[in-house]
Amino acid sequence: MNPLRMLFLAGSLFLTGCSSPVPRFFVRMFSQIGDSIEPVAHKVAEPILPDVGLSVLWVGHATVLIQIHDKVFITDPMFTNTSGMLAKRIVEPGISPSSLGRLDFTLISHIHLDHFSFGSLDMLPKNGKLILPFGGLDYSPEFGFSETRELKTWETLEEDGVKITAVPVRHFAGRYAFDTFWMRDRGFTGYVIDYKGRTVFIGGDTAYDPEFFKETGKRFHIDLALLPISPVEPRDFMQRFHVDPKEAVQIFEDLGARIMIPMHHRTFNQGFDPTPDHAQKFLEEISEQKGLRDRILVLRIGEQRILEN
Amino acid sequence: MRLRILSLLIVVASWSARGQNLENADKLSTWLYYQFVPNLTWTTFPSQTHFAFEWEATPLLYSFGINRYVSPWYAFFVEPPARFSGSLEFSVSGMAYTTKPGSSYFGSSAQLIAHIPLIERGEHLALNAGIAKYFIADTSPTFYFGGLSTLFGFLHLNLKYSPDPRIWMTSLEFRFF
Repeated sequence: MNPLRMLFLAGSLFLTGCSSPVPRFFVRMFSQIGDSIEPVAHKVAEPILPDVGLSVLWVGHATVLIQIHDKVFITDPMFTNTSGMLAKRIVEPGISPSSLGRLDFTLISHIHLDHFSFGSLDMLPKNGKLILPFGGLDYSPEFGFSETRELKTWETLEEDGVKITAVPVRHFAGRYAFDTFWMRDRGFTGYVIDYKGRTVFIGGDTAYDPEFFKETGKRFHIDLALLPISPVEPRDFMQRFHVDPKEAVQIFEDLGARIMIPMHHRTFNQGFDPTPDHAQKFLEEISEQKGLRDRILVLRIGEQRILEN
Repeated sequence: MRLRILSLLIVVASWSARGQNLENADKLSTWLYYQFVPNLTWTTFPSQTHFAFEWEATPLLYSFGINRYVSPWYAFFVEPPARFSGSLEFSVSGMAYTTKPGSSYFGSSAQLIAHIPLIERGEHLALNAGIAKYFIADTSPTFYFGGLSTLFGFLHLNLKYSPDPRIWMTSLEFRFF
């Protein structure tokens, strides 16, 4: 191992406090840094559609381009080749950021490096608003968006008929390891977008909670739930912060949503899932068992689906 | 007089600085804990090199890279993005040498540092440049310095040079706040 790699490795171990299994995860990420990135065939060149009721394009990881009529939203934009400085993409982003002529709202679910990517935000158009979870402003450089707002749980931003509400999820939010100690109750959120009768739930990154999602389901009539499904393994460790596909389907049912689209999988090597499509296969088994195949739509990275014309 | 003006500036900035919003005990105790982590400094005089541990604090920092919705002024408690996204920092340090460079094992400094973001708003790489007044080895040389910071602003490598007396200083710095 060359000295530079050793330095990175030592830094990774240092930053993670040497608590198992996090150091093993960093070592695994580090070993994959030289791997090539899988290209996406047939990228959508013009993802913003002239006339649509509700469309969704999965860009990869937790990045989803949502269009409801004339309004365009993007969640947790991640277009860089690495998350942070170490975690390498497996698959390239499903669209080019230069194909986004405008964005009305850019939503950040939490301040982790794979969801709040400074380099990615620099690639986006700045005509719209940047929405952060409560506590996010302390971490945000000035990107030049028309406005940057942070929302507390159950707080709603209303603008031009669009309502965006921060809703509770169960996660954690330290960005630089040491700040995890005081970012236990802030810096992460889910969102509900409500516009012209279409309602979309954005799960960001979350563990299961028996109360939160039922409460959100009571308050909103949700058409579409975008839910994370990985990392799955090691389950004992991950279940504190991340749902597996079974728990994601439970959230889908707690919300009472009509359609679920999984995300936060397949894009980076996360946790110790044996293969990148481990979570997707797990989800497909569950949706088959529960008879939900027509309501759980698994998209390919770069695939755009028009849900309502 | 200059010291009074500086003290007044620090007090005013501390009052207005968002960095003083230590919402809970965890934040304060974490900050205190990390203040014990020293920088590693090698001071090279014409005839010998001395190693020192250096503890650095930031009485005042102005961030020109942080978003426009928070105060750009920080005192002591500096969130990493405020520094590496572009800032001007006034810092002070105390040093403990492992071998005597003069009549004392101890030294101190006052520094003015500009942090210029290079990659990912400075989170991956930022440039440091500045000027420092040191009180070491029975002298008070003025150093001009430059360097880089990486790893989310935690790791800084700075090279400092004093033309008169001629002294080089290399410092590996760990900045958490």
